[in-house]
Amino acid sequence: MQEFIQLAAATIGSFGFAALFNIRGKKLIVATLGGFFAWAVYLLAAGFSKNPYLCGFVSSVMLTLYAECMARVYKTPVTVFLVAAAIPLIPGAALYRTMNCLMSQDWMEMRKESTYALLFAASMSAGITLTTLIFRAVWKRLYNQRRM
Amino acid sequence: MKREEAEQYLFYAMTIGEMLLTSGAEVGRVEDTIRRICMAYGAKRVDVFSITSSIVTTMYGEEFGICTQTRRVSGMSNDLNKLDELNCLSREICTQKPSVEEIKKELERIEKGPQYSFGSQVFIYALVSGSFSVFFGGDFRDMLASALIGAILKFLESFVKKGAANTLLTALICSIAGGFLANLAVRTGLGHHADLISIGNVMLLIPGIAFTNSLRDMFSGDTITGLIRFMESILLAIIIALGFALVNLILGVG
Repeated sequence: MQEFIQLAAATIGSFGFAALFNIRGKKLIVATLGGFFAWAVYLLAAGFSKNPYLCGFVSSVMLTLYAECMARVYKTPVTVFLVAAAIPLIPGAALYRTMNCLMSQDWMEMRKESTYALLFAASMSAGITLTTLIFRAVWKRLYNQRRM
Repeated sequence: MKREEAEQYLFYAMTIGEMLLTSGAEVGRVEDTIRRICMAYGAKRVDVFSITSSIVTTMYGEEFGICTQTRRVSGMSNDLNKLDELNCLSREICTQKPSVEEIKKELERIEKGPQYSFGSQVFIYALVSGSFSVFFGGDFRDMLASALIGAILKFLESFVKKGAANTLLTALICSIAGGFLANLAVRTGLGHHADLISIGNVMLLIPGIAFTNSLRDMFSGDTITGLIRFMESILLAIIIALGFALVNLILGVG
């Protein structure tokens, strides 16, 4: 039950961010679905692995694939779909708690939270950039072959 | 093509690049767009260099010689609809090569492009805050409190921005206000967890687009731009979290 509420919240949050970035019409729906998809993959991965960083990595790989494909379908920059979809993965809570612990000088807690925030952001960005690079390289190859 | 004409075309290519940059495109896209447009109008060689705050372009052609223009770019609006339309326009320019007047008309249309009204933006702020408060484990009352604070923050933000304060100061003021309101909401019994209410608002203010873009810039070879944007977004994120945490320190909770 908790998972379904979280999934719904992530979807609504992505929708809100997509609207804040002034995405409109059909693309707004596609961007929102990206956020839903990203968190659904994360939850699925969490069912198999206890490691949150691995789940974040898998989720960001899948969401980048989704964004790259949709960008080609709708002939628009990848950023449009990537940004809104990545929002649920941003470790905002850990960042907030890190600062809170820093202020109250709770070093043990702070080390735990800041490690989580940094590593999660790193695994997420690794997933996004690796997928982008590989996808572009493969796509270029296929595209050139078809033209020849 | 005469030299004056070439300068005109370059000018509009630079304008498109500038608008792309401020509406949230990666630097690689900006450079590529300007290069393609210049090539489409018959330049032999085009060199473009861009970072977040500046664009420099030199183009060489047999008919018009060497043209160089620079632009200082400031401001950031994160308007992905504009980005999308500019992308369409540059694609069109490269295939159909319209005249300067046509490009100018199109740019004016895009510049005026649709925006969500202030009312719906307030609603969206409330929606985002509320949903992320629930996302990180808040209950129904926390969601209500967070949504309410999100709406208030939108009013505050537009008010502070009118005073032309810089981005960091605006973020600090908003986050301190958000922290106070979250604690107030708990004291009056509207919400249950001040931290979960605040987290909803933190997510709202956090520079997600700049952060993902910075990583993409860095890994695709634009290291300087990537580092600038990375530092900007980290600084902003820390300032925001600091603002909220500062309030907790002052009030002696958390």
